[in-house]
Amino acid sequence: MEDRPIISVGIDIGTSTTKFIVSHLKYAKVSNRFSLPRYEIVERKIVYESPMYPTPLREKRNEINLEVLKTWLEEQYEEAGINVSDIKSGAVIITGETATKKNAQNIVHYLAEKAGDFVVAVAGASLEGVLAGKGSGAFSRSREVREIIANIDIGGGTANVAIFHRGKVLGTITYHVGGRLIELNRDGEITFISPSIEPWLRSKNYLLSVKQKLDFRHIQQIAREMCNDMLNSLTGQKPISVDDPLIHSASMQMIPDIDEVMISGGIGLLLEKEAPKTINDVTIYGDVGPLLAHELITQLKKFPFIKLNKALQTSRATVIGAGMQSTEISGATICVTSSRLPLRNLPIMILELNNEQLRNREYMYKQITDSLTEWSNYFLEEQETPFAVHIRGIASCSYAELKELAQSLFFCYKQYFPHNSFLVVICENDIAKALGQLLMLQSNNKVDIISIDQITVEQGDYIDIGEVINQSVVPVIVKTLAFMKN
Amino acid sequence: MSEVDIQRIVEKVLVELRNRMEEKQQLEEQHEREVESENEQLFSYDVMDWVTNVPTPKFPKGIEELRKATPARIGVWRTGTRPLTKTILKLQLDHAAAVDAVSGEVLDSLLKEFNLFTVETCYENKEVYLKRPDKGRILTEEAVKTIKERCIKNPQVQIVVSDGLSASAIEANLRDIYPSLLDSLKVNGLTQGTPFFVKGGRVACMDHIGEILQPEVLVLLIGERPGLVSANSMSAYMCYRPRKGIVESERTVISNIHSGGTSPIEAGAHIGTILRKMIEQKASGVHLEL
Amino acid sequence: MKTSVRLMGKTYQFQSLKEIMAKANEEKSGDQLAGIHAQDTQERIAARHVLSELTLADIRNNPLLPPEEDEVSRVIEEGVNEKIYASIRNWTVAELREYLLSPNVTNNEISHIRRGLTSEMIAAVTKIMTNLDLIQAASKITVETRCNTTIGQKGRLAGRAQPNHPNDSLQGIKAAIFEALSYGVGDAVIGINPVIDTVESVKAILNMTKELMDKWDIPTQNCVLAHVTTQMRAIKQGGTADLLFQSLAGTELGNKAFGISVDLLDEANELILKEGTAAGPNVWYFETGQGSELSADAHHGIDQLTLESRCYGLAKRYNPFMVNTVVGFIGPEYLYNSKQVIRAGLEDHFMGKLHGLPMGVDVCYTNHMKADQNDMENLAVLLAAAGVNFLIGVAMADDCMLNYQSTSFHDIATLREVLSLRPAPEFEKWLEKMGIMEHGKLTSIAGDPTFFL
Repeated sequence: MEDRPIISVGIDIGTSTTKFIVSHLKYAKVSNRFSLPRYEIVERKIVYESPMYPTPLREKRNEINLEVLKTWLEEQYEEAGINVSDIKSGAVIITGETATKKNAQNIVHYLAEKAGDFVVAVAGASLEGVLAGKGSGAFSRSREVREIIANIDIGGGTANVAIFHRGKVLGTITYHVGGRLIELNRDGEITFISPSIEPWLRSKNYLLSVKQKLDFRHIQQIAREMCNDMLNSLTGQKPISVDDPLIHSASMQMIPDIDEVMISGGIGLLLEKEAPKTINDVTIYGDVGPLLAHELITQLKKFPFIKLNKALQTSRATVIGAGMQSTEISGATICVTSSRLPLRNLPIMILELNNEQLRNREYMYKQITDSLTEWSNYFLEEQETPFAVHIRGIASCSYAELKELAQSLFFCYKQYFPHNSFLVVICENDIAKALGQLLMLQSNNKVDIISIDQITVEQGDYIDIGEVINQSVVPVIVKTLAFMKN
Repeated sequence: MSEVDIQRIVEKVLVELRNRMEEKQQLEEQHEREVESENEQLFSYDVMDWVTNVPTPKFPKGIEELRKATPARIGVWRTGTRPLTKTILKLQLDHAAAVDAVSGEVLDSLLKEFNLFTVETCYENKEVYLKRPDKGRILTEEAVKTIKERCIKNPQVQIVVSDGLSASAIEANLRDIYPSLLDSLKVNGLTQGTPFFVKGGRVACMDHIGEILQPEVLVLLIGERPGLVSANSMSAYMCYRPRKGIVESERTVISNIHSGGTSPIEAGAHIGTILRKMIEQKASGVHLEL
Repeated sequence: MKTSVRLMGKTYQFQSLKEIMAKANEEKSGDQLAGIHAQDTQERIAARHVLSELTLADIRNNPLLPPEEDEVSRVIEEGVNEKIYASIRNWTVAELREYLLSPNVTNNEISHIRRGLTSEMIAAVTKIMTNLDLIQAASKITVETRCNTTIGQKGRLAGRAQPNHPNDSLQGIKAAIFEALSYGVGDAVIGINPVIDTVESVKAILNMTKELMDKWDIPTQNCVLAHVTTQMRAIKQGGTADLLFQSLAGTELGNKAFGISVDLLDEANELILKEGTAAGPNVWYFETGQGSELSADAHHGIDQLTLESRCYGLAKRYNPFMVNTVVGFIGPEYLYNSKQVIRAGLEDHFMGKLHGLPMGVDVCYTNHMKADQNDMENLAVLLAAAGVNFLIGVAMADDCMLNYQSTSFHDIATLREVLSLRPAPEFEKWLEKMGIMEHGKLTSIAGDPTFFL
């Protein structure tokens, strides 16, 4: 049973290229036979990598060509030798510029549904940055060294930065910096300007238009300034502000001092190539990518306190992160109504109680009603409103205290969400089975209970819960939403 | 409800919550201060007072990280080659707790709380108990008589509690594990017989009790040999049709149950699942598939 | 064979060598549990008297457990050099004791005669030696062994870093290894007792420790103390093990309870010599401890000290790098109090050394024994004086996984200072290079585990 890996896929539809991988997540019982069961993913291994495929767009370039993409993916599945029914986890990501295409949302969801039982659509540049950092090797390196490491994943449309320190994510920030924001023909004539870079161009007084011809110096100037602005922001020379036209989104307001960077994504790959010298060298891919890569290195030298470290994976970092690193598994003593799974896209309601507060019955009750009132205000009353309650802060508690909590929570939940036929509880600590049984006894089969634990989520996250594996654990994907601009 | 709707709602909530967070934090901080000052009056020592530290570590942030990674007593520093006084005293305090756990007795009032009557094994006294494990495996004649009189025969689940090597394990955990266990029986549709307490018990006293009452499954909650991390550690031994001649590998066990180890409430909740599987598979120990 | 003696007007008649051997022992609760102990102190001395006058041939000719019935007996018998045995077969046990203690008998002489001794003869002489006898005789014997590095030299005291963790967290194990290294401990071995006896888990710990040794260039050896079959599978699947570990019992039946046999050990031996990562030639780590045969009901009515000696007879076959007697782990039903633990520790160390084994001792106790940390400190000093090859180092002596107390990193550092002992030579050089030790003393940065982060 434990020898069978979870087959997980990653699909990354980027601004310029689309990538696909298949990985095996080997999970194993990591508890001894004298303790409560505990499972962990012990090995994550890539078993198939697709070639880089140009992301197919329709004529007007504002839509992804789903038919073409589908056919390609089907070929890839065949090439990889897997059936859709074998796939138990993974993520479809639309990154960078592509995410702004008209049908992006639909495509992602369509693919997530078709790609396998439990493949989820990932929303948000923040998680992309983290996944790229995990794929590039920055995350695992941060566990080994004392330095603060930033992974800058730069593709065609955006630069997703994730900052790691000793195996923890300190924060993420995404810039409108990418190789394909301005496209050129071989002679340097502009063929396309992405709307997302226009505000920045305007702020810098670059008045560019399609068909305009740029020379080497001019492109170099723009690339240099773009890199400079980004690096100034990353090194704290410039405050992070929603008004900054180069910033797409950020999960933090202060950036810690970065000691090391890794550069992944398509630009990361270009770093290995020789610096372009002529306009023909620049436009070899029909965009400003080669020069952007070169300027990034040059500008980075202005910050001698930051060390550049070679990424283990460049253009495939995000897809590898998505396919291999997005899935976690829950604690193994949980309480779930299996027929309700899988569940996708549950927003998280946080219920934070420390032990002291848990013992204070009135405080606890008020805390629950406050949170639920808040939530119920946003939802229509007459329909099922799926969300998950995340209980955190409780270190260890007595059964009597937990019983109080279960009673209050269930009572209020019924009151505020009378149309909900299930209750999802996600506990930070190992209490899900005890809490689950208490809730089940409360509910008396009227409401289905799903109580899982040892998963950390934050306010604003979404969670996907897969089907029960091995009668004991569920795979979980937590999707983080950064504070979007606009 | 579409995804976009949900996303919009979440974002709205986030903004609202952030605004209210500060207010709440102030309230909490005030509450914490109150609790702290209360605690100061109650305890003259905080356990944190016993922690010693490396005075000038090469990587200051690293100390916490290393400490968090293990319950081992690391980063404690030294005077010459010897440990600092508080480190030594903490070790001695924990050893004292362990020694007292072995020699202690479970309070009658606790047993009454759960309607557990008491019977004894042939252990005689603590010294004999320690030197002759065989004696703790057999119940006295009187115990056998009492059990026969007071207990339901052939129950589906028989619960037995025993002090074993740590009376304080029972004191510390019974109030959590026991009601959780009873609820887990309910959730799993199981019924129990008449529970009782065995004084001076060893694990294998299960076999003797099995012979007397013939339960389908038996679960024994027993105090473990105390360690320094916790003197209050309990084990739950479970056996399908316990009887004389059962070997160790035919018992299923959850050990290290205490507030800092395997959570007693979670263990209690899981026991019901294990017992149900034992009854379904008519097996326990290595023969049981969990 | 003379089996009776008259002492203080009373005749003591013993039925067998087995009875004499059992009753000659110092008081041990394990012999009492087995029901083979002397009824009173005078009977004990009577048994000792009889034993002291038996010849080595008497002992060999009256096997407690005949070779035909037990493979451990066969291994011991096969190991005897007949010529040397012939030269000492008429010595009484008392003469053997006095020979070992006489001033002109040194390591060389002892190395010679040990080849004519059986484990039972060694057990017999141990029974008539006092604690200080055991210390002095053992201190004459040097047993040097080499895996990646050499330990056991005179004037050296090595330590095993025992960084156990309650659920085998690699980060947690690492944290405790850093602490050990920062106190100059880990020269004998970095050895982890895993909670989870699976190939995956064992392999992960083996590879993590090996990577750590490579990263910091640490001259030592690694070992994960899982069942030997699990280690074998881990090695076959690419696990990097310098040493193979196994617990031994003194009877075939006892080993069966451990899930091993001589055939299995032979097979494992071949594997580790072929696929182990160490230079060698010594690539085994064995553990023993009085009482394990009785707890497995595999003692054949033989006393626990003699059975312990037989473990060493078996261990010798594999030229181990280190042998560790886990002296007080098994519980008060075998060794009741500190007096019994101290005695057993000295006996085991001496018996192992006389067998020619690289003996170390896990000076330890459980919390239901009548013993405390002071008793362990006492025994550690006695053993360090007796020239023990290595002791066990656990953070503040408290093993948070096995739930017992041993000796600490601080203790090993203290013993080295007090008794002018040094770490293993290669390891000492490394400590100097790291700046943790200077002229055999810990420097001001010693004791800071963040050094290795």
